Amino acid sequence: MSQYAMLVDVSRCIGCKSCTVACMQENGLQSGDSWLRVRPRELLTDHLVRYYIPQSCRHCSDPICVAVCPIGAIKCGEDGLVIHDIEKCIGCQVCVTACLHGGMKIMNNGKVGKCSFCSHLLQRGKEPACVTVCPVDARVFGEREVLIREAGLRMTDLISKGTDVYIKGTENDLTKVLYLLLTLMAHTVADSKESVTSSDFHNPI
Amino acid sequence: MGSYVRPKSLGINSKPLEPDDNLRTSICCLCNGGCGIKVSLDHEGKVQAVFGDSDNPYNKGKICAKPMEIAQTLYGPYRLEYPMKKVNGKFERISWDEALELIAQKYNHYIKDNGTGSVVGITSKIGGSYSKLAHSIFSKLTGMANFGTGPICMESEFNVRKEIFGNGSATAPLSDVVRSKILLIVGNNCAQTKAGQFHWILEAKRQGTKIVVIDTRFTETAQAADRFIQIRPGTDGALGMALLKFVIDNNLYDQTFVAELTNGFEQLAQAVESITLERAAGITGVPENVIKELAEDLAVCKPGMLFEGRGIVCVNNAGASLRAFEDLMVILGNVGKPGSGIISHINNYGNAKGLIPKNHVVKPDRKRSAVDLYQAMEEGDIKMVFIAGNPCVNWPDSKRMTKAIQGLDFVISHTLFLDDSAILADVVLPATHWLEEAGVQASVHRVLQWKDKAAATYAEARSGGDLFRQLAEHMGLESSYFPDSPAAAWELERTHNKSIEGITIERMQRTPGGVHFPCPENGPELVRLYESGVFPTHSGKVELARENALAIDFIDMYDSPGNQGISREEFPYILSTNKVASHYHTVCQYSNWAVEMEKPYVEMHPQTASELGVIDGDQVRLKTSTGAMVLPAKITLSVPRGYFSTQPYFGVHSPYGKTPANSLFPVAVDPVGGNFPNKNIMCAAKAEGGQGQ
Ligand code: SF4
Ligand code: SF4
Ligand code: SF4
Ligand code: SF4
Repeated sequence: MSQYAMLVDVSRCIGCKSCTVACMQENGLQSGDSWLRVRPRELLTDHLVRYYIPQSCRHCSDPICVAVCPIGAIKCGEDGLVIHDIEKCIGCQVCVTACLHGGMKIMNNGKVGKCSFCSHLLQRGKEPACVTVCPVDARVFGEREVLIREAGLRMTDLISKGTDVYIKGTENDLTKVLYLLLTLMAHTVADSKESVTSSDFHNPI
Repeated sequence: MGSYVRPKSLGINSKPLEPDDNLRTSICCLCNGGCGIKVSLDHEGKVQAVFGDSDNPYNKGKICAKPMEIAQTLYGPYRLEYPMKKVNGKFERISWDEALELIAQKYNHYIKDNGTGSVVGITSKIGGSYSKLAHSIFSKLTGMANFGTGPICMESEFNVRKEIFGNGSATAPLSDVVRSKILLIVGNNCAQTKAGQFHWILEAKRQGTKIVVIDTRFTETAQAADRFIQIRPGTDGALGMALLKFVIDNNLYDQTFVAELTNGFEQLAQAVESITLERAAGITGVPENVIKELAEDLAVCKPGMLFEGRGIVCVNNAGASLRAFEDLMVILGNVGKPGSGIISHINNYGNAKGLIPKNHVVKPDRKRSAVDLYQAMEEGDIKMVFIAGNPCVNWPDSKRMTKAIQGLDFVISHTLFLDDSAILADVVLPATHWLEEAGVQASVHRVLQWKDKAAATYAEARSGGDLFRQLAEHMGLESSYFPDSPAAAWELERTHNKSIEGITIERMQRTPGGVHFPCPENGPELVRLYESGVFPTHSGKVELARENALAIDFIDMYDSPGNQGISREEFPYILSTNKVASHYHTVCQYSNWAVEMEKPYVEMHPQTASELGVIDGDQVRLKTSTGAMVLPAKITLSVPRGYFSTQPYFGVHSPYGKTPANSLFPVAVDPVGGNFPNKNIMCAAKAEGGQGQ
């Protein structure tokens, strides 16, 4: 069971934010405290390309947030989940700046918060709340190997139809939440940013 | 399992949900998607969470955000707990009996002194099947004329389709899309508006259905399509007519179908004669070769389906577009076969007949259109209004509607919330939510599904079903015609309506996903309409042309009601409201999560923004001939230049605390179908100064 993972397929996401609301409902989060945010990205090539990037903690195998936290409020579990202890957290927010994935979010109370991978649901043999609701299977939960195969199939299919995508999280920067990302977008727009301004577009491939 | 640390103390309710093995099954009644849901209740029977029902074959556990937002809307600060009466401008609590007695007295008084037409209902949110039936019985007994969801949602679509097929309903279930070769989606962002059911379209796409989206905006649906055709706002009619002409000129239509099952082909051909590819390209902005290619695709890829949306329904020239695209499907022979037809959330399974002896039926003594309603209220022709809904927010020209309602003698609001309309009432009555009422729910798959009451009734709330029966009693009317429960109501309705006679509650409960209609007693369910080739028109055939009129008459949106005569110099831009995934009706907007997911904004193209001198987040003042409002700019390439898009509704007495977007839309209707527009209205815009939130 320790080899489970989640796949987030950006090519499929329709930006409905069902996952965000399911996450808030499941984890009892108040307005403004969401751990999962869905951000639109637009790019004008010969036509308009627009995708949505759901941002949440990716549960890195070598997490920088753990390294920078001055009081050890963030821990890596044996199962590969990175868990933040809100009680210990002093709200210094260095982890928010350090995280390259926009995984750590600032909460209303000044502390930080992030995706727990719905570990309480996993313990009951269930899948994470955001996966269950996603109407287009842009979020899938399962065994890591199975998901990597699924991602490969989706990638081949997309590439054959002219959409260039790549898998993130399986190679040098290992994460438990894998992403299928668009090559076109990755080179132009930082996917961890909350919002992008015109200056982010001045970096064509 | 390794270490497990549960995140704690994020706030007052930041604990993960407790496991619940006792979930109630229900059907989401928000968008007619008909998604199955599972409801988790607390010890008081209040909703604490909503999940998707993985056993429902239509949504397979998937849902959009809206049903999850319900707990917040149900127990939030705006929910009405008990009846109240306005005394010297302030609401005071009264009992249900006092309220009903007062309403009954007033009602009888106005009918006697001013005629049945002096009382009308504005009833877009009347409740489930139980309340709808009781409301219709009550209306028949009293002669109350009602304005329902029609004019603000689907009147044009219903009327045009009824002219063509004899029935305004969807002809095919959404689930048929996996059997189609091509799906034409016109002015419909179903990826957002029916997110929970959108997997059907993606599944079809995976199986090889070509998905073509025609829209003014680059929507989420367009993003997921095989082909996106961007069109100038309000010009869909011309595109549809050019497609018709090309298909006719090149003999690409189904000649047997046209010859045997349709009337009016010659008139249709004549009506589209002048819309050449070249001319259509000039009007629509869609290149000639793209129109030609689409026509050829439609001719080759059969069967094909059509899914129209509010983008061509809630506009001031809806008639031509709807007629053109539906006629197109007909002449291609895309009707009555698996994988063909028209998908829609309009589910008209007919009305129960003979519930009341003829001599007890009272007809309203005046007839008014939706446009007439405003004037009749302003001029005092209407004395009393029964509101179930929020017309001050979801009807056009909110300021005028508000003033008209304020000027009435007596106003009742049967409502979930103390909203912009309820606040004006003389008597407010707390209504049950659909989770607090059992009943039948229709869906975009042309099925009827039964749902039991899931949540405990909130405070003193009563359903429309109970309210109308009790009001009839207080008024001294024959109350024995009324059913006394949702189950009794359905039995009554089923046994008085041939088209649903076979759909018992038991059968709905036994059939996963519900039962298709029509469905005669002991008979088979009809998955799609018109497989027999018989149509409920007078002639029994499809009517391709309008009676006593041009088959299709494309009129530019600038020359159509609401824009006609308005100066293009003064109002150079176009404004539309467009629905989003996080809310659907005004009711959905009473949730913090809905507001958080979609903060108010106005979308505009970067070039429009630079014309106005604004950057993302700057406040922009939008002004039309009827009103003005200020919204923060959201700059996006997904809308064309010169076009503004915002979300519908808001409301001063809502969590938004904002002028209703409908304040900016005029009281004008599509002359063919009768829909109010909430899109394509001419507007002016300028920077308001000051940074947005
Ligand atoms: S639920 Fe799925 S489709 Fe909707 S925003 Fe989340 S990832 Fe995207
Ligand atoms: S994604 Fe960010 S917050 Fe999550 S484990 Fe990695 S570094 Fe930490
Ligand atoms: S796995 Fe659970 S905690 Fe993480 S984003 Fe999804 S719903 Fe939220
Ligand atoms: S798609 Fe429609 S029916 Fe389904 S959950 Fe969303 S609002 Fe309800």
